[in-house]
Formats: sequence, C-alpha cells, structure tokens
Amino acid sequence: MGYLAEGFRKAFIILFSGQEETFSAIFTTLKVSTFSILVTLAVGIPLGFILGYYTFPGKHAFRTISDTLMAIPTVVVGLLVYAFISRSGPFGGFGLLFTLRGVAIGQFVLGLPIVVSLTASATEQMEDSVKLTLMTLGASPGQLAASSLWEGRYAVVAAAMTAYSRIISEVGVSMMIGGNIKWRTRTITTAIALETGKGQFAEGIALGIVLLAIAFAVNGFVSVARRRASI
Amino acid sequence: MTNIYELKDVTQSYGGRTVLEVPEMKIGKGSIVGITGPNGSGKSTLLRILAFLERPVSGRVFFRGEPVIEIDETLRREATLLLQESKLLKRTVFDNVAYGLRARGIKEGLSAKVNHALEMVGLDPGDFAGRLWFQLSGGESQRVALASRLVLRPEVLLLDEPTASIDASSGRIIARAIVDARERFGTTIVIVSHDIDWAYTASDEVISMFSGRIRSRTIENIIPGPWEESRDGTYCRRLEDGQVITAVRGPEEVYSTGLLDPEDIILSLNDPGNTSARNTIRGTVVRMNLENGEGNVLVTVNAGGTIFTSRVTTGSLSKLGIVPGSPVVVVFKANSIRWV
Repeated sequence: MGYLAEGFRKAFIILFSGQEETFSAIFTTLKVSTFSILVTLAVGIPLGFILGYYTFPGKHAFRTISDTLMAIPTVVVGLLVYAFISRSGPFGGFGLLFTLRGVAIGQFVLGLPIVVSLTASATEQMEDSVKLTLMTLGASPGQLAASSLWEGRYAVVAAAMTAYSRIISEVGVSMMIGGNIKWRTRTITTAIALETGKGQFAEGIALGIVLLAIAFAVNGFVSVARRRASI
Repeated sequence: MTNIYELKDVTQSYGGRTVLEVPEMKIGKGSIVGITGPNGSGKSTLLRILAFLERPVSGRVFFRGEPVIEIDETLRREATLLLQESKLLKRTVFDNVAYGLRARGIKEGLSAKVNHALEMVGLDPGDFAGRLWFQLSGGESQRVALASRLVLRPEVLLLDEPTASIDASSGRIIARAIVDARERFGTTIVIVSHDIDWAYTASDEVISMFSGRIRSRTIENIIPGPWEESRDGTYCRRLEDGQVITAVRGPEEVYSTGLLDPEDIILSLNDPGNTSARNTIRGTVVRMNLENGEGNVLVTVNAGGTIFTSRVTTGSLSKLGIVPGSPVVVVFKANSIRWV
C-alpha cells in the first residue's frame, strides 16, 4: 500500500507544480473532447429528435442500429476510423492520421449514437400531455417541434453529458488514431496508459485524479439535469 | 342565439371500438354548457373533437356554421382546451402564460396582457410571474394553465374536469374566472365534469352522457347494475345499506344501467305511506344547486351510497325546509327507470 500512498503524494506535487508535460495532456484532452462533443451535439440532437418525434419508414431499424452502436468498443471505432483515414484508406489524402482532427472524428463516431439514442428516448418519453398542451395553446407544427425539444432540454443535456463522459474517458480512439504523440496528440487516457506501462504511477495517478474530477463534474451536471427533467 | 358548433352523426372509434356517437348536437355562441357523465362516457373524446385535436371517424362538425374540412393551427387557435391536470411548460409562469400569444406572433402589450390574465385567476403578477413551473402548488398550476388560455381571449374555452384535482379555494377562483371570461369576452364555454356544482349554477344547459352517447340535455340519475329478478317479476338493485330500488320492465342484462329523470323524483321529509310509488328510499341531502335561469334547485341525496338528484322548485324547497345534512325520503315510481 506504501507505493500507492507515495504515488498520490507525488501526484499532488505534479499537479500543484504545474508540470508542463502533464498539463499538455490535460489541455489536449479538453480541447479535442470539447470540439468533438460540440460537433456530435450539432448533428446528434436534431437526428435524435427526428428519430424520437416523427414516424417514418425504417425508423425502428435506424433506432436499433443507433442503440447497438452505443456500446461499440472504442478500439473498434479506432480501427474503423484508422482504416478510413490511413494513407491507403479512402480519406488518406487528408492527412488526418495521428492528428487531433483524426481523434475528433473517432470521438464523433463514438459519441453520435449516444446523443442520437438518448435524445430519441427523451423525446419519445415526453408525456403526450406536453404535446397536447402546446397544441391547445395554438402551436403550429414547427412551433410544436421546437417547443417539444425545448421542453425536453434537461433530458437532452443529460444525453450530451453522458456522451461527453464516454468521449473524454475513451482510450482506444486516441491511442490508435492520435498515436499518443507527446505535446501533440497525447491525451489524459493515453498518457495514463503510457506512464503506468513505464511504472510511473505518480504521473498516472495525477492524470487519473484530473480525469476523475472532470467525470465527477460532468456526472454532477447530469444528475441535476436528470432531476430537472423529471419534475 | 347562433350556434358556434353543430355536430351531425359524429362517431369516434379507437382500435375499432366506438367511444362516441352523437347524432346531433348544437352549442350556442356565448353559452355555457356543462357535460356530465361517468368515466368512459365519451366526455373527453367529445371535448377533443370540439378542440379540433382529433377528427371524428365519421360525421360532420360545423364551426360558426362552416363545415370543418381541414384541421390546422388556425382553426385550433379558435378553441382552447384546459386539461384536468394541465401540464405547465418548463419555464416561468410569465412565459407559460405568454406562450399562446407568442405563438400567434403577438408582441404588443404582452406584459400587460399576461399580468391581466394572472389577475383574473387571482395570482399576483409581481409574486408569481417570475416563478418556475415547479415552484407552484397544484391549484396554482391549474390557475396558471387557465390564465394561459384566458390571455388568448378565446372564442371557445373547453374545460376537462378543471377543478377535479385541486383545492376548494382554487376551484372557486377558477369557477369565477371562467364565468368572468364569458362576461368579458363573450367566450363560449364547455365544461366537462363528474362534479359540477358550480357548473350547474352557471351553465345554460347540462348534457348527460353515458356509454358514448348523449342521454339527455339535462342531468340524469344513473343507477348501475347488478339487477336481480324478484319473484313478483320486478327487478331489484340492492344499495350498500340494504335498501332496494325496484324497477319494472326488466333490463337486458344483470349489469344494465338504469336512468332516472330528476323530474321523476319526489322528495319527502317522512315515509309517504300509501303511495303508488314503489320506491321510497331514505337518504341524506348532500348538496343543493340553483339551476341557472330556471328558478329550480337540484337537490342531491346520498342514499345507501347511490346519488340521486331531484329537481324541485324554490317554493317546494322552502316548504320542505331542507338543508344539506337533512334526512329525506327519495320517492319514485318503479316504471320511471329507463334502461340504457
């Protein structure tokens, strides 16, 4: 147990001394995951709302695929995106491999099904009385759709935060697509894997603490959003 | 009075089961109509059709004399429905009340209109306008929901059990605001309720519904089965306290429902003794309502757990000297009971 305690002690020293290499991984993580989640939400929320709100041919098949992809292993996403953006892949010419843009694409693929499925569920679970209330107040079809989405905003925020949790904590995509390049594509999770492999527990623990703090903050937000959604 | 609604041969079905059949119905512009009946009698379905929220499977609906062909928000904006437990939108009270106006693109005088509507339902705008939806009691929520409709100065206000699940004080305020809406805006009001004490006093007309049909354009007593055949060929319905209702002309089945016109019930302080009426049932007066414009009083009596309503004149009532809580005898002939 002694080495663990020593690891924590050193971890706090690293964090409070502002070690550049550690903070580079933290900022890289925040930068790429924030970009990924914003793009994911911009695409996923409208898609999820359409899937939950409207009825159209193939809806159930689309929903099943989206639900299944929620649990896709990150290394599989990494593999697929790698295949597409590697030099011999169809998008090899864009030079995305081992870049943060490449990582963002992988994280987008990872987060999209979560946002789509959870937004669709939130929309489907919206009580009929909400829709009825909006109709009795004279909402047009467009106003009805927009207001319904707004009424479900807390559930949608919860969906967004769930997707962000998955994105920020993934290691497969960042490792395979980003390549864990120091100062450039090294994220918290890839750095933890690397440092632990090297036996540098203190660095690993320091980054783990940061990741846990982010996860707590995100989940706290999800919890508040879920409570609001259920009122 | 011109008719704002006219329904002809309207039928509504869900999953092949007919839930509403209205051969003919007219609602006068600016009138207050009460609709009463037990659960599953088709009241709410009728309201949804009148609110243009659903289209009947057959029949025709006329609104302001014009046949309703296409239902869109333009038509829906003429009639607004207040649900039993209205859902408030997840926003402030002000934004809830303003929603309908904003949906119609009305921006001028928005605050004044919202404040006025809140005042109509007895809520101080200064105190309530900024509150969020979850910072209200059930009664306050229902009043905000009503204010959201009143602010629209609707041509038709449809109310589905508006006071069923709220406190008596909020119920009284809602009742006053609804009557106020008719007086101020000339709004036509249709109220659906099990228990429409105040609607009886305010309504120009009360419609009784049962099993998806309009049974009468007045209040009716509903006596559900089971009915048992007696040795003398009559049919009996045993009340909770052991008293028996007797009917002649047998029902079609054991669980048939009997209907009894309030005009056919005589109230007496004592057992009338020798009388041709077979039914003399002891009960207690639970409610008395003055009928709007008729000069009659509807006296509701609980006898062995079954509710009877009798229509008596104010003169007869003062002669009887009864008040809620008075013991009375409900008297009616066995052949007054009709079958659904």
